[in-house]
Amino acid sequence: MKPIDLNIIGAKGAIAEEAEGKWGMAIDEDLCTGCQACVAACAMENNISFVGEEDAAYGRTMHWIRIERFWEGEYPDVRTTSFQPMLCQQCGHAPCEPVCPVFATVHSQADELNLQVYNRCVGTRYCGNNCPYQVRAFNWRDYERPEPLNNQLNPDVTVRQRGVMEKCTFCIQRIHQAEDTAKSEGRELQDGEFDPACAQACPADAIVFGRVDDPDSKVSQLSRQKRGVKHLEDLATLPRITYLKES
Amino acid sequence: MKKKISRRDFLKLAGASAATGAALTGCGPSSRFVVREPYTQMPEYALIGESTFYATTCRECAAGCGLIVRTFQGRAIKVEGNKNNPVNLGKTCARGQATLQGLYNPDRVTDPLNQGRRKTLGTDGMNWDDAIKVVSDALANTDPAGIGFLLGMAPDHLFDLVSDLTAGIGAPAPVRYGALSAFEARATLVKAAENVLGQSGLPFFDLANAELTFSFGANFLETWLSPVAYTRGFSKMRKQGKRGYLVQFEPRMSQTGAKADEWIPVRPGTEGMVALALGKLIAESKKQTVPRAFVNVDVKAVAKESDVDEEKLHYLADLFADADRALAIPGGAALGQSNGLGTAEAVLALDALANNFGQPGGVFLSPAAPTEDNVHRPASLQEMAVFINKMNTGEIKTLLIHGVNPVFELPKSLGFEAALKNVPLVISFSTFPDETAILSDYIFPDHHGLESWGYQRVATGTSQSTLSGAQPVVSPFYNTQSTADVLLAASAIAGGKLASVLPFKDEVEYIQAQLIPLIENKDANFNAGEINSFSAYFQQFGGWWTNEAALLAPTQNTLNETLSVESPTYEGEGDFFLVPFVSPVLGEAGANKPSLQEVPDPTTTVMWNSWVEINPETAHEFGIKSGDIIKIVSNVGVIETSAYLYPAIRPDTIAIPFGQGHKAYGRYAAGRGVNPFDLLGLKFNAAGDIAFAGMKVQIIKTGKKFELARMESEIGVYGEGLGEE
Repeated sequence: MKPIDLNIIGAKGAIAEEAEGKWGMAIDEDLCTGCQACVAACAMENNISFVGEEDAAYGRTMHWIRIERFWEGEYPDVRTTSFQPMLCQQCGHAPCEPVCPVFATVHSQADELNLQVYNRCVGTRYCGNNCPYQVRAFNWRDYERPEPLNNQLNPDVTVRQRGVMEKCTFCIQRIHQAEDTAKSEGRELQDGEFDPACAQACPADAIVFGRVDDPDSKVSQLSRQKRGVKHLEDLATLPRITYLKES
Repeated sequence: MKKKISRRDFLKLAGASAATGAALTGCGPSSRFVVREPYTQMPEYALIGESTFYATTCRECAAGCGLIVRTFQGRAIKVEGNKNNPVNLGKTCARGQATLQGLYNPDRVTDPLNQGRRKTLGTDGMNWDDAIKVVSDALANTDPAGIGFLLGMAPDHLFDLVSDLTAGIGAPAPVRYGALSAFEARATLVKAAENVLGQSGLPFFDLANAELTFSFGANFLETWLSPVAYTRGFSKMRKQGKRGYLVQFEPRMSQTGAKADEWIPVRPGTEGMVALALGKLIAESKKQTVPRAFVNVDVKAVAKESDVDEEKLHYLADLFADADRALAIPGGAALGQSNGLGTAEAVLALDALANNFGQPGGVFLSPAAPTEDNVHRPASLQEMAVFINKMNTGEIKTLLIHGVNPVFELPKSLGFEAALKNVPLVISFSTFPDETAILSDYIFPDHHGLESWGYQRVATGTSQSTLSGAQPVVSPFYNTQSTADVLLAASAIAGGKLASVLPFKDEVEYIQAQLIPLIENKDANFNAGEINSFSAYFQQFGGWWTNEAALLAPTQNTLNETLSVESPTYEGEGDFFLVPFVSPVLGEAGANKPSLQEVPDPTTTVMWNSWVEINPETAHEFGIKSGDIIKIVSNVGVIETSAYLYPAIRPDTIAIPFGQGHKAYGRYAAGRGVNPFDLLGLKFNAAGDIAFAGMKVQIIKTGKKFELARMESEIGVYGEGLGEE
């Protein structure tokens, strides 16, 4: 597909304004070992339900992050493509947002993140259909969490119910907590002061999180590397996650 | 003294030795735990809405990673890595993350049970006084020679306590085992280190600084030895100035193989021969005299037998010869062969040839553990066979099992389940209703690891000498008791020699006694003058470790001795090599955690089940399609499971993950998948490890079909899903 020249469609100014974003990630595919620690960590932090074998086979798992890999070539010259953690890209121009009839999928001005407001969501699943990254998960049922597994639920994260769409929030509860702590201590939030659950767990340090509007932050420095790409950039979604390709 | 001491009181008192001594006198076991009280009486450090964090040690495997557990008003909410612990430096694996689903598992053993070897978990509850009396009578009334302790790879403090107990009363030393140690072929690696590196122990491979790494079957990004530590090493290896290059030699591409730059699909069992051939070619490439270790090898013959053509061998040898810091790692399925010990030695000889002993990016010996370094090693399967024989001959009258599930974790052909019937009294201390616990006379459940005190010696993975510390992060959820406390109380009641061997009030006092020698060493992460402050710091830091690296450089160099790796022999008959591997996600004991069941396998993306990996070409030849149920027949057993057409496996090899196939172990594990241990025959290598990857099996189509739950779509994968092929 040919890249869209934003100057021609006259959208450059409007998009450039939002292009930067606030929070972002750099994910190094050369380092990602596909170990799934981020997947498990995310599930534990964000009260993500398990759906059981049958629903999992229908593709209804609730994971907010998944590790993609594809097979390339044929034996013996076969290999997998790099393991690629895929999660909500927190797009600056998010295709999920304009299709929501009830404004459950909205852009937060303060955090410059895509929010999912569970108590607005009526379950049309338009947003899920329109997400080119396929990172939204729909609650097809009220998934059981037998006692005493519920003891582990994180009190900072809403427990979702049937008929509601959900997705990665960049661990917004952690963002807000870190901001509150910094504010109460009368200082600026430092780069690397906190991490979302996936980046915190990652044994290979493949996921780096931080402020993309600060050119000196670690994530900005990594994102400027030559091997950095944004997924489906042609769609002008302005993703906040930069993937560093295997060199 | 009737008043029970709550944990927060204990922590307050921990600093003042006199007060602690007085306050705890006369308290029974587990008095150091919290008494649950209403939250109207808040501990002074607990603020409503604020979390409290505790440092402890992960027990999902024996690596000893440090954890920080976030607790919120008495509940454990989230597990994080302990940034200070040198093993994992703040990181965790998926299994560590899911450990809370073990703690709050709906199928735990909630009370001491008179299980009576029923088919399902009994309901005949007991009180703990009676339970302790049972253990006490068992210890006192059995001839010491007839007492058998079978323990898992963790925790170490219990192993030490039982070792002291058995040594004191003249009973056989406890035997430790875990399926992971069998799949790692630890005994082989340790023996090879003794022969080649001059010292028995686990070698430490400095992956982080290697420019070129040849890994012969070592699945170090998955479950091998200390996966979080090795993943960090891998990450650094990739990030260094000149990006490190990894070549993986294995018949089935593992997750580690998938991250390698080159995957060399050698025929199972020929890894060592390839290493020897490479040794010869590398020396030639470097224009050196070929050391005696490699002179006998016939490169042409090796190329033929290993299915790696000569040209490729020359290319790889040049690669190794030209690298500044080259490293070779032996491990996993390459050592689980009839010639495994020779293979391990041959690969370590490549390190000798690269002259990397004690050099950055080379081979070291893991630092000695802070205490009792000599007791790390788990039993090899050959030693387990001896133990089972003792059970069968009636030599073992009383069997006490903790931290291991041998009915599931041993090859069926060893006959552990049948041997249990020949032991008059079997007591299980299992937290979960696993297969072995169900077949026991009694289950006296231990606390979950996150409710327990303890320590774990770090066997390998870091350059510092490390003792990871464990403390309860929540009060015990059920009516369980620490096994260490049960044994101490039982010994005290029994009186006589038993009581004098372990003169400790409770588990914590025992642990403190073990820590005392460490106070002397001031070059560590903390210092304290006396034991109460020391153990308070030990809990706060999550362990004790030296500041300086304590790696040892191997002294020996065996290049002047002739090495030879004989041709592998295979157990059983059939057209296919069988390569069982540990599920990277489930490990040996993750199957009872629902969120872990739903984490997709890294290479196949399968969830909630077992599968058999078959090369698509082979499958086509046999008319097997994805999801067809295949019968796999070995000379000792048969299992049936769904086929996954796996492009990265030799056409003459099939692979099955280990981790599923439970008959018990709770609702999320039981009746799900198959256990490849049902297929394994009893062939051992020279170090006593089982040749688990040295089997030949038959495959038969059953005509049945079961579609696996997998994350990836089948559409477009080898033409599947697009109508008939």
